[in-house]
Amino acid sequence: MVDLRVNLAGVEMANPLLTASGTCGYADEYADLLDLRALGAFTTKSITLASRIGNEYPRVVETRAGMLNAIGLANIGLDRFVADKAPLLEKLGIPVFVNVAGVTVEDYVAVASRLEQVEAVRGIELNISCPNVKAGGIQFGTDPVQVCKVVSAVRNVCRKNVLIVKLSPNVTDIAVTARAAVEAGAQILSMINTFTAMAIDIETRKPILANNTGGLSGPAIRPIAVQMVHRVYSQVAKAAGVPIIGMGGIQFAHDAIEFLLAGASAVAVGTALFVDPGGVLAIKDGIAEYLTRHGHSRVSDIVGTLELNGRA
Amino acid sequence: MWRWPPTCNRFDGAWPKAYHALCMGSQRSTIARRGVFSAKVLENNQLCLDHYQLVLQLEAFPPCRAGQFVTVRCGQVEPIQAPREIQWQAGQLPELYGPELTGRQPLLRRPFSLAGRRDVGGKVELEIIHHVIGVGTAFLAEARRGDEIELLGPLGNGFDILPTGRAVVVGGGVGIPPMLYLAQQLTEAGKQVVAFAGARTRAVLPLTIGSAQPPSTAGWPGMCTAEFAARATPTVVATDDGSLGVAGFVSQALEQWLDREQPATDDLAVYACGPAPMMRAIATIALGRGYRCQVALERHMGCGLGTCQSCVVKVKSGDPADGGARPSVSAHPTGNAAQLTGNSVQPAWQYKLACKDGPVFDAADLVW
Repeated sequence: MVDLRVNLAGVEMANPLLTASGTCGYADEYADLLDLRALGAFTTKSITLASRIGNEYPRVVETRAGMLNAIGLANIGLDRFVADKAPLLEKLGIPVFVNVAGVTVEDYVAVASRLEQVEAVRGIELNISCPNVKAGGIQFGTDPVQVCKVVSAVRNVCRKNVLIVKLSPNVTDIAVTARAAVEAGAQILSMINTFTAMAIDIETRKPILANNTGGLSGPAIRPIAVQMVHRVYSQVAKAAGVPIIGMGGIQFAHDAIEFLLAGASAVAVGTALFVDPGGVLAIKDGIAEYLTRHGHSRVSDIVGTLELNGRA
Repeated sequence: MWRWPPTCNRFDGAWPKAYHALCMGSQRSTIARRGVFSAKVLENNQLCLDHYQLVLQLEAFPPCRAGQFVTVRCGQVEPIQAPREIQWQAGQLPELYGPELTGRQPLLRRPFSLAGRRDVGGKVELEIIHHVIGVGTAFLAEARRGDEIELLGPLGNGFDILPTGRAVVVGGGVGIPPMLYLAQQLTEAGKQVVAFAGARTRAVLPLTIGSAQPPSTAGWPGMCTAEFAARATPTVVATDDGSLGVAGFVSQALEQWLDREQPATDDLAVYACGPAPMMRAIATIALGRGYRCQVALERHMGCGLGTCQSCVVKVKSGDPADGGARPSVSAHPTGNAAQLTGNSVQPAWQYKLACKDGPVFDAADLVW
């Protein structure tokens, strides 16, 4: 019998499957299409201190095997999240992580402090890597000094909530920002956010997105994400004992298992939720089948068990 | 009661049947909620250049209205198979398959408005008319009788049947299909309906032109298209280049008809779907003359379910009871520090989602 339970920095999850922020709203949008209780944990869409209307239309465009988005962190703001959405999340029955975005360190700290008082929340995922907001979070995520500053400030106000830091892939060496986050107190790393990218309408010679650039997600980015998870696991996270939530283009159990082997302790599904909300649960069955077939009894048995080829 | 998702493997090919087993039985006709449904292709007809009509048969489908839409998985999506050995002979290409080898596959679902619905013999037939513009629609154009297609719906809000005696439905290009379904529902509701159908040129008008009664070049409504005639709806056809019916925009044909008929403002409602400039023109004409007007908007969608926040529509503010995200600034909707810090002024408009709050909106509420 296979045991799918995982423990991420003290958070007990029934299985290693999560939602990726921004692809499942605040849990009420999909309630009739996906039984969220069957997931290991739920990550909300980004919350900022004040509500945001987001970017101009068009905000998404499909590219080959992927999708570009520039929503601009449109969200209802902290107050309405706490008042309207938290009561529903409390009933969910699985751990809830709230993705938090901001412009200043004070923004992040204010939201994190308030979420300490919200019973439904088990952890916060620090979004220091949204590529679509001017003066937004991106410079935090790409500069190790800034990463350290914001992570340690937020860590100071986290008591009940576990601190997850979501890393940006838009860097030269992701191990550098990962190390900064871990040294500043990140308890879990989630990786990766989307890649800054552009699609052009060749007839009008203009970018298709109103924001000009957007974040690329979907199967197109999966091999890069797998490589980055492996790099951070082997160079930073393994030694520090910090678990990784791997994400980037996961559609099928095969994809999730790649991330687990590369060093992720859990996996999040994002863009695939738009395509087949209920179907993502099959990933769980696929992982169980794989563990059985390879004679393992727990998910942690295969985390980071990638065997590199010897180089001549 | 049925539950979604069923607890079986999504990819073993068994779930659609298992799903239908859950849907059927005594509860079959009373499915009230949206969901994922497997549909069988009954017909795939080419209507004109690059436009196809799909007739789909489902065991059951929730009640729906004109203006609502479904999202369709336009491709074969299968998990990657375990590695396998391939043998082939020199001079012969190996047979490769799998989503990452077979060329371009659409990733996201594609939204389509419903062009009609018939409940026959305990089953449901849905009609979709689409214009081939990319890989997703090209896949649908290849569909053959008996093929299974997975659709999710019904989504969004449909047209309200307004309390008027008369109605005009105006469709432009791929905006015509939902107008067919609406004409059906309006005539069933006892309204006296006239349809206006516009296209760039005859070759891209997705309607079947009867030879007995060609469309009037002077804009007189007639039973000139098989599809609207089947819905007992006289029709005016307009083409930009004059290759069929009235020469000019469909909005001009409508204006001409209104001048001629002079319907009372409380006796006529105007419904429209088509390209944005056309709908803006129709809304200006209708509202300017005091008629109620509803339009169905087209937007690029990521999910169609209210989650990805992509399909935003600017709607006039002033209803604080609304459930959508309330903006906190007016000056820079593209996102700036003022927004994040809440340095705010109440704006004259707010964003609503076409997939959840629409795609049908009251034309008077829109910021064009």
